[in-house]
Amino acid sequence: MLLYIVRRTAQMLVVVLCVVTLVFLLLRLAAGDPARLMNAPDAPDDVVEATRVRLGLDEPIYVQYLYFLRDLFGGDLGQSFQGGYSVAQVVFAALPNTAMLAAVTVLVSTLVALALGIGAALTRGSWLDRAVQVYVAFAQSIPSFWLAVVLVLIFAVQLGWLPAVDFTGPTSFVLPVTTMAVALTPILIRTIRQSFIETLEQDYIRAARARGIAQRKVLLVHTLKVASLPLVTLIGLQSGMILAGSYVVENIFNWPGIGKLAVDALTSRNFPMVQGAVLVAAVAFVLVNFVVDLLYTTLDPRIRLRRAS
Amino acid sequence: MLRRKAAIVGLGGIGLLVFVAVTAPWIAPYEPAAQDLANVLAPPVWDGGDWAYPLGTDALGRDVLSRMIYGARSSVLISACAMLIGATLGLVTGLIAGFFGGLADTLIMRLGDVQLALPFILIAIVILGMMTERSPVHLIVVLGIPAWIVYARVVRARTLAEREQDYVRAAETIGARPLRRMLRYVLPQVRSVMPAIALIDLSHLVVMESTLSFLGFGLTSPHVSWGQILADGRQNMVVSPWLPVLPGVAIMLTVLCINLAVEGMRAQVEPRRRWWSTRWRRLGPRETQPGASALSATSAGPATASTPSAVSVPGDVLLDVRGLCVEFPAADGRVVQAVRGVSFTVGRGKILGIVGESGSGKSVTSYALLRLLSAPGRVSAGSAVFDGVDLLGVPERSMRRIRGRRIGMIFQNPVGSLNPVLTVGYQMVEAIRTHRDIDRRTAVEISDRVFRDVGFADPAHVMKQYPFRLSGGQNQRVMIAMTMAIEPELLLADEPTTALDVTTQAQVLDQLRRVRDEHGTSIVIISHDIGLIGEISDDVVVMYAGEVCESGPTEQVLREPRHPYTQALLESVPRPETGVTSLLRSIPGELPDPAQESTGCPFAPRCTSAMDVCRTHRPQPLTVSPAWTAACHLYTEERTEATRR
Repeated sequence: MLLYIVRRTAQMLVVVLCVVTLVFLLLRLAAGDPARLMNAPDAPDDVVEATRVRLGLDEPIYVQYLYFLRDLFGGDLGQSFQGGYSVAQVVFAALPNTAMLAAVTVLVSTLVALALGIGAALTRGSWLDRAVQVYVAFAQSIPSFWLAVVLVLIFAVQLGWLPAVDFTGPTSFVLPVTTMAVALTPILIRTIRQSFIETLEQDYIRAARARGIAQRKVLLVHTLKVASLPLVTLIGLQSGMILAGSYVVENIFNWPGIGKLAVDALTSRNFPMVQGAVLVAAVAFVLVNFVVDLLYTTLDPRIRLRRAS
Repeated sequence: MLRRKAAIVGLGGIGLLVFVAVTAPWIAPYEPAAQDLANVLAPPVWDGGDWAYPLGTDALGRDVLSRMIYGARSSVLISACAMLIGATLGLVTGLIAGFFGGLADTLIMRLGDVQLALPFILIAIVILGMMTERSPVHLIVVLGIPAWIVYARVVRARTLAEREQDYVRAAETIGARPLRRMLRYVLPQVRSVMPAIALIDLSHLVVMESTLSFLGFGLTSPHVSWGQILADGRQNMVVSPWLPVLPGVAIMLTVLCINLAVEGMRAQVEPRRRWWSTRWRRLGPRETQPGASALSATSAGPATASTPSAVSVPGDVLLDVRGLCVEFPAADGRVVQAVRGVSFTVGRGKILGIVGESGSGKSVTSYALLRLLSAPGRVSAGSAVFDGVDLLGVPERSMRRIRGRRIGMIFQNPVGSLNPVLTVGYQMVEAIRTHRDIDRRTAVEISDRVFRDVGFADPAHVMKQYPFRLSGGQNQRVMIAMTMAIEPELLLADEPTTALDVTTQAQVLDQLRRVRDEHGTSIVIISHDIGLIGEISDDVVVMYAGEVCESGPTEQVLREPRHPYTQALLESVPRPETGVTSLLRSIPGELPDPAQESTGCPFAPRCTSAMDVCRTHRPQPLTVSPAWTAACHLYTEERTEATRR
C-alpha cells in the first residue's frame, strides 16, 4: 500500500510538472510577446524593450522557464497587468468560491443520482425507470450554457424567485448548482443503476437474503457498499468536466470563482492572470484525481489488501 | 423495437442537419451578415412576426433563420472535421501501439495517460482565447487533436486481441506483409466499435464548439455559430427571449439525435439489455399467489399424483414438498419449465440428498423453497409445507423470519456467498443478531464458539478477514458456522462441496453431519455426485429434467436402483466394491431442452431400455416399497401384478 502511494505520488508530480510546462509554453506560443502586450499598442519600441529587460524576457526561453519555475516554488505567480495585484493572491481568493460551487454540485448530484439510480434499478421497466431514462437522455443533451440562460430567464427574469447574478446568500447556489448538476447527473445515474443491477444479481446478495437479512439492510449495506464504488472513480474523472462547467456557469451567474477570473483575464488579455488561473485550476484537477484514486483504493478492501500483500 | 425506432429518428435528425449544413448557401433566405436596420429584433411568426423573417431578427436586424442555418454549417463542419482528425490520429497510433508493441506502445500509451490527466478543455480555452482571429481551421485543430487517445485505446485493445487470432498468425506464416495484414484484418474488427465512439465524440464536439463560441472564444466574425447567436441573444433576452432559446434548442436536438443513434447501435451490439425489463420486485409475495392457489389444481398436473398416501403431514416430517413447478418466461415469449411437479419429504433430523446432473432443476428447487428465484423465474404450482406453514403462500414478511432463522442455506460458491467488502465478523454478527435478540458482545462470543467448532484455531483473526482472503473451504466453514450459530431447523446445502478440493470436501461433510447430530438439524443436500449423496444422506431423490425419477431410502435405492437413470448415474461413478476392473460408463446424449414441451418420459431418448410406450406416455411414480417410488414404465406390469395379487 505504501509503495503504491509513493509510486502514485511520483506519477502525480510528473503530471503536475507537465501541466506547468505546457501552460508556460502554450502561453508563450499563443500569446506572443508579453512585453508588447503589457504596453499600450502604440508604445515606442524602446519602452517595450525596457519592459522586456525588466521582466527578463530578453533571456533565452529555457532560462525564462527556469525563472518561472523558481518563482512558482516561491508561490509567486507574477503581477497582474491591470492594477498590478499579485496574481497568486487574486487566484487563491477566487479558488474557494469555485471549490464551494463544485463541492455543492457534487454533493447534490451524488444524492440525486443515488436516489434515481437505485430507484430505477429496483423497478426496472416501470414508469419510474422509464422516466429516469428519459431524464438521462435529455439532461445529457442540454448544453449547460443554454440551460443557465433559460433558468435565469424563467426563475430570475420572469418569476423573480431567485437571484440571477452575484453571490447574495444560500439561494444564489440554486441556479448555478442546478445547471451543473443537470450536466453531471446523467452519467452518475447510468453508472449507479447499472452497477446496482449487476450487484443485485451477485450470489452474496442472494445469500444475504437467504440468511434472512432485512430487505432494507440488504439494499443499503450489502448492495450499496459494493455498487457505489464506481461512483468514486467516476466523480474523479468528471472533475475536469465540472471545472469546464464552472467556466460557463461562473460567467453567466457572475460567480467570483476561478473560471470567471480566467475568462475575464483572457478577454482583457491579462497574460499573467490567465497563466495563474489556468495553472491553479489544472493542478487542482490533478490533485483531485490523485485523492480520488487513493480514496478508491482504501474504500475497496479487495484492492487495498491486494496492494498490501 | 423501441430502440430501433429511436435510432432511426436519431440518424434521420443527423441526416437532416448534414443536409441543411451542406446546402446552407442555397436554402438560407439571406446572407448571415445582411442587416435590415428597419427591422431590429423583429419577433418570430408565432409571436406575431412577419413571414419575411420566420424566426425574427436579432439586434442588428439580421435574419435569425439564415444565421441558424449557417450556424449549423459551422457546427457540422467543425465537429465533423475535428472528429475525423481525432479518429484518424487515434486509429494510426492505436494500430501502431497494438501491432508493434514494445517501446512504441509504451510511449504512445504513456503520452495518452499524461494527456488524460490534464484538464485539456482549459488548455483549449486558453489557446483559443489568446488568438485574435479564429477561423474554423483553428477550432478544428484545437478541438480535434485531444480526442485521439480515446480512439487509440480502443483500436489498440482490438488490435492486440486480433493479433492473437489464428488467421492473423496464419497470414504471418504465409508471409503476408505486416502493414497489409494490419489493415486487412484489424480494420474490419475496429469498424464495429468506431461509429459509436465517433458519434459520442461528435456530440461532445458540438457542445464544446458552441460553448467556446458562447464564452467568446469561438469563431470570430464573419463566421457564424450557434453558441455565438446565443451569446449575442443573451444581451436582449428580456425583450426577445427566443433569441437565446432557439440556438440552444438546435444544439440540444442535435446532441439528442446523436445520443439516440448511439443507443440504437448499442442495442444491436448488446441485445441482452432487454432482459432487464423484468422487475426485481416480483420476487415478492405477489408471485407466489398462483402457487398458493394452485395447490388444488396441481392434481391435474402430469407428475403430481406421486404421493397418494400422505394426505395429512405426519409429525416426524419437517418439510413436505408437493407438485412444485417452477417456470422461467424466456425473452421470446416461451416459458421454460425448470421444475415440473417435484414432490419429496424431509424427516426431522434426517438428511435428504437430491441428486441429478447440472440443469436437472435441483438448485432451482432449493431457491424456490426459500423464494429466492432470480427474476423472472416463478413458482407456477405446488406447495411446500414446512412445519405446518406453506412456504410458497406466506407473506414476504413472515418469509423473512423463516429465511435464515428456521431454514438456513449454504451455497455452491462459498467465496461468492459472503459480501466481499464486509468482514467475515460483521456478516457473522449481523446474521446472528438478525435472528436473536442479543447484544453485540454476546454475538461475538457465539461466533467465537462456533468458529472453534468448525475448526478455526483463531476465530478473532478470521472475524477480521474479508471473505476473499480466506480459501473456499474456510469460507464454507464460515457458512456452516453461521448455521450452527443460528441453529435453523432445516439446512439447504446446494452443492456445498463442489467448489472444494477432495480433502476439504471430507471436512465439510463431517461438519454437516455434526450439525445434524449435535443440533438435530434436518438437511437437504443437493449434489451431482451420487457417491457423496450415498455417503451422507438417509433418503435420496434422483432428479432428471426437472422431474423426480426415483426417490426412497438411500441404502435401498443405491443398492438396487430401479430407474434406468439412477442405474446409469451409479455406473458413471467409480465404486470400491465393484473393483478397478469394472468399466465406468458415461450417459450418452444430453438433457432435453427445458423449453420444449415433450410427451413421454424425458429420459427416453437416452435410455437403453426405452420402449415405445416411453416415447408416448409420461410414466407415473410407482411405489416399489412403502417409501420408495420410481417413475418408469418398466415397472408398470410388475406393479399391476402386485396389486392383483
